[in-house]
Amino acid sequence: MKKLAYSELLSEHKNLQKSFDKSNTYNIGVISNTIVNQFKEIIEYNLLINNIYSKVTLGDYDNIVQDSIKFKEYDLVVIFWDICNIIDGFQYEIELYDNKTIDEVINKIKNEINLVFKNLSKSSLVIFNSFSDLSFSSLDIQKNKLNYLKDNLNTFLENNLPENFKLINIEKIFCKIGLDNSFDYRFFYSSKSLYSIEFYKSYTLHISPLILAVKGKSKKALIFDCDNTLWKGILGEDGFNGIEMSKHSKNGKIFHEIQKIAITLNKKGILLGLCSKNNQSDVDEVIKNHPGMLLNDDVLTIKKVNWIDKASNLLEISKELNIGLDSIVFIDDSSFEINLIKEQLPDIITIQVPVKLYNYPKLLRENVSLFHNLSYSNEDLQKSKMYKEQVIRNSEKNNFNSIEDYLSSLQLKIKVYDNEKSIIPRMSQMTQKTNQFNLTTKRYTEKDIENFIDDSSFNILSWSVDDKFGENGITGLCIINLLLDKKIAIIDTYLMSCRIIGRNIEFSIMDYIIDSLKKIGINKVSASFIETAKNSQVKDFYKKNSFIQSTKTKNQINFELLIDNYTYHYINYIKIENGK
Amino acid sequence: MENKLKNVLSIVFNVDINKINNESSPDSIPNWDSLAHMNLVVALEEEFDVEFNDDEINEMLNYALIKEILNNKI
Repeated sequence: MKKLAYSELLSEHKNLQKSFDKSNTYNIGVISNTIVNQFKEIIEYNLLINNIYSKVTLGDYDNIVQDSIKFKEYDLVVIFWDICNIIDGFQYEIELYDNKTIDEVINKIKNEINLVFKNLSKSSLVIFNSFSDLSFSSLDIQKNKLNYLKDNLNTFLENNLPENFKLINIEKIFCKIGLDNSFDYRFFYSSKSLYSIEFYKSYTLHISPLILAVKGKSKKALIFDCDNTLWKGILGEDGFNGIEMSKHSKNGKIFHEIQKIAITLNKKGILLGLCSKNNQSDVDEVIKNHPGMLLNDDVLTIKKVNWIDKASNLLEISKELNIGLDSIVFIDDSSFEINLIKEQLPDIITIQVPVKLYNYPKLLRENVSLFHNLSYSNEDLQKSKMYKEQVIRNSEKNNFNSIEDYLSSLQLKIKVYDNEKSIIPRMSQMTQKTNQFNLTTKRYTEKDIENFIDDSSFNILSWSVDDKFGENGITGLCIINLLLDKKIAIIDTYLMSCRIIGRNIEFSIMDYIIDSLKKIGINKVSASFIETAKNSQVKDFYKKNSFIQSTKTKNQINFELLIDNYTYHYINYIKIENGK
Repeated sequence: MENKLKNVLSIVFNVDINKINNESSPDSIPNWDSLAHMNLVVALEEEFDVEFNDDEINEMLNYALIKEILNNKI
């Protein structure tokens, strides 16, 4: 619809209307205090292409309260209540009002809103656009009176909204298409018509999932191909160890995110399934045992993993799940498969994994509204839970008397990985990006890291840090050169991402390193601090870890430690374990 | 260009394309009210990739005038 010119849309609208059965008309009443006539054909057209015949009736200009009585029997009522036209010229007049007058205006509008709430209390669905001042607001730092009024009214709406009302944050649409594209001021000044055609199109696409849900047309199942769709790589060629979907690898993290989005949908009741050309036993092995695979048999309702064509498989899926083809969304990376489904089963919505992989999560997210369902209580619950967690996180920070108390409440857990090949890109990236907590600031390529791993006289440790609020990913690295015959270890690199600084992680890790060096018979450790413009915060790091300064040059300080002289930190609130 | 123009008018005002002539105006086309006029402007702007200012919009009083204004633009 977005690409259709306005006149094309009008003519398509007319043509489509002719062929529809009008006995089951979905009646929409539009109430507004500005002119929104152009909305009519656009939303009617959009619903037509979704197989819904609707008729939009526009209310009288600026007659919101009375119209709300007129439309109370309608299937859907949409309310455009624009503050720029609350009183003629309100957008500039308000700045000259005194506070008392503004509060009177606010109270008047609140009373009217309450009347609208009451008049439409029995309606099946009402879409109420939040108030926005962006059409006539300078994007100023300082709050002006229009901002104040808007915030006040929106808070009132949020706190008092009846259950059958859906509040639409109209500013999301402005964000999406830009303020300049949202309004047509020519027609505002000549006809009190504020919005552009582009706005109505985006707005319609934004709210139509609500209507589709009411009409039982939301999507119910999300079916994934596997190779290069759920993970990077081809299982049959790259093998179990060659596919990537780990949060810690460059390509894998995209697929990790995709799987997380899928799980989120599943939690809202969306069915998940697989439709892939692969050996079933191979894929089952991945589902069962691959550490990166998040979609397991608890969330996968259906699996069609075989060498039969995908159209037949998707037909089977529709039958077995007892849902219509038009309830299915299918994702695949291959244009061949996507086109096959588009041609053979056009009712199925297809999504092709973009070539620019970094756009993949965004693309999936944009399509999430296809699965919109009206029984939002579950999600609302989750949302409120999330807010609660955030509140707890912040308040906990304030509640604790000492930072130690706070840290010990975090349930910090470090996982240490030894010479782990699957995260070479991340390890290399850390050497290249980390500046502050970096003792020697040596930059290494992926190949360099690989060479270290292959060289038995080097040991590379990396670690991830989790707390009770979530995971922080691989955030630390230590490269140690072992001269086993001399019983000496040289710390070549020691770095940590700034994300995890300030939690005493570095000391726990040092305990761990010294311990493991002891076990292999090392009795002396040497290390150095190479000064850069950014790493002064770690200048004393080795001193704090029982090392003694040995030699010093212009920008380098060398340290030594006789391992038996090491004083353990023993930080009891940090758990440390091997990641394998 | 005339065909394209007539086509837009026919779609926006929902009239037979053959009934549109130089004299066509709000007086002869019942659906041509001030709101439909807005739709006409937007549709023409998209179709011919032009932008009209206030004065031009107000001067589009009949088909012949629209044609003239548009001709000056493209």
